[in-house]
Amino acid sequence: MKLFNKAFLFLALTGTLLVSSCDSLLDVQPRQSIDANGALSTPDAMNAALNSVYAKLRSTRNYGRDLLAMSDALADVGFTTSNSGRLISENNNQPGAHFQAGFWQNSYFAINEANLILDGLTAVKGASAAQLARWEGEAKFLRALYYFDLVKVYSYIPTAIFQPGVIDQGGIPVVTVGVISSGEALGRKVARSTIDQVYAQIYKDLEDAKRLLPTGRGVQYASGAAASALLSRVALYRGDYPKVVAESTTALASSVGTVLSGSAYVNGWRSPVHPESMFEVSFALATESIGVNESLQSSYTALLNLTNKNSQGGWGDFIPNARVRNFFGLAALQIGTPATDNNNWDVTRNADVRGQLYTTGNTIRGAGRQIECTKFMSKSGFAYADNVPVIRKSEMHLNRAEANYHLKNESAALTELNAFKALRGLPAVTLSGAALLEEILLERFKEFAFEGHRFFDLKRYGRAIVKTTPAVNLAFDDFKILPPIPQREVDGNPNIKQNKGY
Amino acid sequence: MRKVLLLGLMLFLVNAVAFAQDRVITGTVSSTEDGQGVPGATVLVKGTTIGTATDIDGRYSISVPAGNNVLVFTFVGLRSQEVSIGNRSTINVALESDITALGEVIVTGYGTQPKREVTGAVSSVKGDAIQNLPLQSFDRALQGRAAGVQVRSSNGLPGGAVNIRIRGVGSINAGNEPLFIVDGVQLNNQSNASFTQSNPLAFLNPNDIESMEILKDAASAAIYGSQAANGVVIITTKKGKQGKAKFEFNAFSGETQPLKYLDVLGGSEWYAMRRDALINSGNTAPEANSLNTMGRLPSNWASLTRAQLDALGLALPTYDWQREVIGLGRLQNYELSVSGGDDKTTFFLSGSYNYQQASIRPIDFERGTVRLALTHNASDRLSIETNINLSTFQQNVPFAVEGSFLGNPAFSASAVLPHNNPYNEDGTYNLAIAGVLGQNIVQVNDYNSGIQRTNTVVGNLITNYKILDNLTFRSLFGLDYRLLQGDNYRDPRTPDGAGVVGRSSVQSDWRTRFITTQTLNWNKSYNGVHNLSSILGIEYLSETREGISGAGIGFPTFQFRTIQSAATPESITGFWTGYRRASAFGSVNYDYKKKYLVTATARYDGSSRFGINNRYGWFPSIRVGWSLVEEEFLKSSSSVSEMKLRASYGLTGNDQIGNFAARGLYGGGGNYSGSAGILPSSLANFNLGWETNNTLNFGLDYGFFDNRVTGSLDVFDRRTKNLLLDQPILWINGFGSIANNVGELQNRGIEFEITTVNVDKNGFRWNTSFNFSKIDNQIVKLYDNLKFLPANPGIAIGQPVGRDGGGANFIALYAGVNPATGRPMWYDINGNITYLPLAADRQYFGSNLATTFGGMNNTFSYKGFEFTAFFTYEYGGIISDGQYSFLRENGTRLALNALREVNDRSWRTPGQITDIPRNLTTNAGNETRGASRNSGSAALLRSDFIRLAQVTLAYNFKPSLISKIGLSRARVYMQGLNLWTYADYPGYDPEFTGAGTGATPLTKNYTLGVQIGF
Repeated sequence: MKLFNKAFLFLALTGTLLVSSCDSLLDVQPRQSIDANGALSTPDAMNAALNSVYAKLRSTRNYGRDLLAMSDALADVGFTTSNSGRLISENNNQPGAHFQAGFWQNSYFAINEANLILDGLTAVKGASAAQLARWEGEAKFLRALYYFDLVKVYSYIPTAIFQPGVIDQGGIPVVTVGVISSGEALGRKVARSTIDQVYAQIYKDLEDAKRLLPTGRGVQYASGAAASALLSRVALYRGDYPKVVAESTTALASSVGTVLSGSAYVNGWRSPVHPESMFEVSFALATESIGVNESLQSSYTALLNLTNKNSQGGWGDFIPNARVRNFFGLAALQIGTPATDNNNWDVTRNADVRGQLYTTGNTIRGAGRQIECTKFMSKSGFAYADNVPVIRKSEMHLNRAEANYHLKNESAALTELNAFKALRGLPAVTLSGAALLEEILLERFKEFAFEGHRFFDLKRYGRAIVKTTPAVNLAFDDFKILPPIPQREVDGNPNIKQNKGY
Repeated sequence: MRKVLLLGLMLFLVNAVAFAQDRVITGTVSSTEDGQGVPGATVLVKGTTIGTATDIDGRYSISVPAGNNVLVFTFVGLRSQEVSIGNRSTINVALESDITALGEVIVTGYGTQPKREVTGAVSSVKGDAIQNLPLQSFDRALQGRAAGVQVRSSNGLPGGAVNIRIRGVGSINAGNEPLFIVDGVQLNNQSNASFTQSNPLAFLNPNDIESMEILKDAASAAIYGSQAANGVVIITTKKGKQGKAKFEFNAFSGETQPLKYLDVLGGSEWYAMRRDALINSGNTAPEANSLNTMGRLPSNWASLTRAQLDALGLALPTYDWQREVIGLGRLQNYELSVSGGDDKTTFFLSGSYNYQQASIRPIDFERGTVRLALTHNASDRLSIETNINLSTFQQNVPFAVEGSFLGNPAFSASAVLPHNNPYNEDGTYNLAIAGVLGQNIVQVNDYNSGIQRTNTVVGNLITNYKILDNLTFRSLFGLDYRLLQGDNYRDPRTPDGAGVVGRSSVQSDWRTRFITTQTLNWNKSYNGVHNLSSILGIEYLSETREGISGAGIGFPTFQFRTIQSAATPESITGFWTGYRRASAFGSVNYDYKKKYLVTATARYDGSSRFGINNRYGWFPSIRVGWSLVEEEFLKSSSSVSEMKLRASYGLTGNDQIGNFAARGLYGGGGNYSGSAGILPSSLANFNLGWETNNTLNFGLDYGFFDNRVTGSLDVFDRRTKNLLLDQPILWINGFGSIANNVGELQNRGIEFEITTVNVDKNGFRWNTSFNFSKIDNQIVKLYDNLKFLPANPGIAIGQPVGRDGGGANFIALYAGVNPATGRPMWYDINGNITYLPLAADRQYFGSNLATTFGGMNNTFSYKGFEFTAFFTYEYGGIISDGQYSFLRENGTRLALNALREVNDRSWRTPGQITDIPRNLTTNAGNETRGASRNSGSAALLRSDFIRLAQVTLAYNFKPSLISKIGLSRARVYMQGLNLWTYADYPGYDPEFTGAGTGATPLTKNYTLGVQIGF
């Protein structure tokens, strides 16, 4: 019985020890994460949190691919090769083949992070006024950029709203307060703001960014000049033409970015940081490469690099159509023998220097040797990664010319257009009225082919998308102009209205 | 004649004299299994308390008092025998294994129990049943062996993942894996291999297993509390037995073969198929375009007529890529074990080597194990025990284990265009492969290399102290340690390595789990009718896992294949995570004359994984049994030999979520422009607790005709409440989901097991075991009155979930092809035909979880010959098979090969009734303004199958014959695995998990083996 007592005592003791110190026995702290509570209370944490908001721009669903390649596939810029089977249904404007749920998700996640930064500004210990201004300015610039990208995709553009309130279902949900607790996360069910409210919010953020960011810290980060440049584009979409002129002028006067001409312009596309960029998304590390399947380079060309065309590169899924080839007089040209060597091929070109950004690919993929766009050729120094220009300074000229046209300043518009054409090696034109607008838009098409502008340029004028290859005529009244809002966001939020047709 | 009679009379008289006195009987007790003496067997004079035990060689000597004429020989695990002495003075008996199972002892939670007294739903699989199967992990071997236990191989990777589900699927987002316990050590069976699937359970040589017990109902498992929701599998390994050292050598070797090759189109057929698709698409130069797609358009094509081009296309050759990369493999296994001991110490020591190739190069598995089990009785009261399993296995990895990667041989072999020759005329690799699969998979898999290594130590140290005769203290300290290492090289000569000039990736992952269990066992019998026993214990578990991985690119030449030669570090990362659990538990058993049986258990668990408000939980259970055979009215029955009714109810928990799932965290990530980023990674849920399984179970154990027919029947209702559900959060609020306890899931089922001795006559014996399970799974409740989950409408009330907790199939119903036009059609929600089904047209189509499954084993034995045929079956799963879906596109979207039967069925002429649309090349192979041809239910398949999983023909040499050459046992056998499958299935095989795209199929295995004991 003695032994029994001992054992029982032992067990009881151990048990008591276990229960009494259970909380410490069960105490395990994560080592690679920190508690969300107070996570942003230091300047270093703020810097790091801001980095993540920038980093989300790199997503394949945002500037990594879709805002450029998929957007142009939806428009009338090119056709698909079927090499990997990607972008085909988008190019055919099939129902549902449009911006994906991940674009909405990634963008709103970034917006929440920006909101948390803005909410947390007052709680940062030991921050200087300059730091506070920078965080606020950059967060607001980014928030504006994400909202602008979302609203131009999911809603009609103010200059061409189709059957307002009937087919048009308004803008997108605007949230300006961050969510970090489960209560808000489960409870907040925001409705779509009106299109005008969304644009007003974007204006507000960009005006703040302009004020708070007098100087930038490199074109991979937001700056006041970049805010002006973005504002110029937002105003153009909004039909606020005096604002376009004002902001374009401010942006052009800034020291951020350089408008290039001639071969310097072509070379600009070969340097890691595009000299024309006023804001670009940085791909700095090899791990950030989007890879062989969905990177911009792989989407556009089967080449690995321009030095040896025989090296196996990406897929070359989406290539210029006849219209774009005709802009620059592109036709395949054998420049040596044997013909089987891909290095013995190039293209014919006209005087437009932009033709230098196209050449023949290789025969490795199924579609064989095709004429491809080479704007993205692993400039960052590792495979399948390029910094992606979001706003090039050239756009300011074209924005201002277009705005001046609408403001009836046709001569200013024509002068600016011709000056720009000269930069690209093209002769001046003498046009007026609608023909002048068409020429400005055409110049925009040529300049920004494969950069994701064309779909929205058509959309903001309410124009149909007309393609011969593939034979698609997507009228502006077609519901497929807009993508569906992710179904889960509609199913889980009684206040939100789905776009018509889905 | 007279002399004989006289002699008989004399003998009778002598005997009559002998009866009057004690006489001494001597002899040997051996086991029929191995012919070896059984030490420690009890020899009892029937009707007396006079008895003795056999010595180390199984010999005994007993003095039998006059008037007694029957000896009873008993030994645990062997069938007792009563022998009339007659006039013999030497009696040798050979005891048979107790195959009727009802006398056996079952391992239950923290103890053992005679099977007769078990009141929960427990299945037991003996090590013998799975012995010498060329399977790398024991979980795979459980397929079809026990009712309620559903086992599916994820693929045919030796040592790959196995999906095991006990009584359905109880969770949507938390894990559905049972708790595996080896020698008292609760294992972590999560795999974290980067480069292939490495099943952590493959560390154990299945031949080292003595028995596996599967605790199925919550009441049986509840003593394991928060670990036990998905059932518990307790593995007991072989231990030494008293006696002189027994050696056993065991070897088998053989070959693996593909289950099937897919019948795909040849070169000219593919040409014609594409040509016709181009014609259907209105192309004006279909011959030239078809040749162009195949990379065979001659440069002078413009000068050739369409007929000439057509002739070129129809003359294209065919190369069989499947047979190029999918073929025979080797397998072999060698083991040596020694066991024995004296009355103080027993030991079991074994070593093994196992090698097996899959049907696809270079996939293989190579394992070495060492195991030691040692028991020492330091005194009458104190014994110490240890079990140590050391194991290392490594697997050569393919380009990819799964997925539509060009270099993945399992994906590309059937899909690459067939006119491509793998080799040039000079024997070098042909690198100009036409079609979308533009890589030479032979070259890619020859040049790339990689290995995944898993080193495991699972061991324990146990002290038993008999405080009183009926009170034992047991202290267990256990360790489960695993190091996973891997490296993988993308050769710069291959397309994926060319861009980066070679890439080496490496991984190391450590997992360390300590567990300690302290228990007190007590039992007492009152007046021989009230039997009471109880267990009281505490347990503590701590687990940490950390890893580091990286990749480097830029290699000088392909000969440099390790990461230190890389010019540029591409990535480097690591992680740390851990959790802890503290528990107290107890159980009480009571029975009245073994007739009425009651067991109650309870466990109190605390886990660091849960929210601070909800860290602790109670898991009680009760089970009752009524053993009808002990009642007077059945005791004398000659036909009913066992009859027991059981009922149980219990609560178990599921804690298989992330270690920090309850925390609101900011984690690293989102680096930008070369500087580090952080981002919110999860939302806090202070109330997060376990999901609770409540299972009600009714069962019946039966035995008839002296247990020639035995088995059990169980019905259960398993309710999972407070599901650990990733409750969707609107993305506009910055998060995708939060771990929450909401919703309810139900598994209702019936399980039936029967074992019969059909014939037992003249040395011929035929046994049959059959089991059957049917499970209905459905979601009972979500939250906020939702009918379905917004982010995943397949998760819906009234619908089943999938094998991994995914949703039911929720898609538009396929209506076949419009006979007039060849366009694919679907039904809309009103049952009308549509070409473009919308989200609103989706319907529910079951899930990939089979509803009915089981197995049947037949064993025939005659004079040393033994024939075993084991079948498994599965019914009711509705799956999509990614590989089949690609091939079902019929080469229309991409330049991929097609299945012949699909192409043969494709619509060609008006009026044709078929399910495969006309071939097109435009619009990704689909009709403009039409859904894609695989949309909706068009490509869904039934995963039903019946498989002849195992056939064995063995011969056991007569012990008397081989003892002359010093052997105690010799057995030779031939064995085949998966020799025959009945399935109406167009892909490789219906048994897989995951998407199925490019998954390595299972193999047929043929082996020849020998077992020698000496």
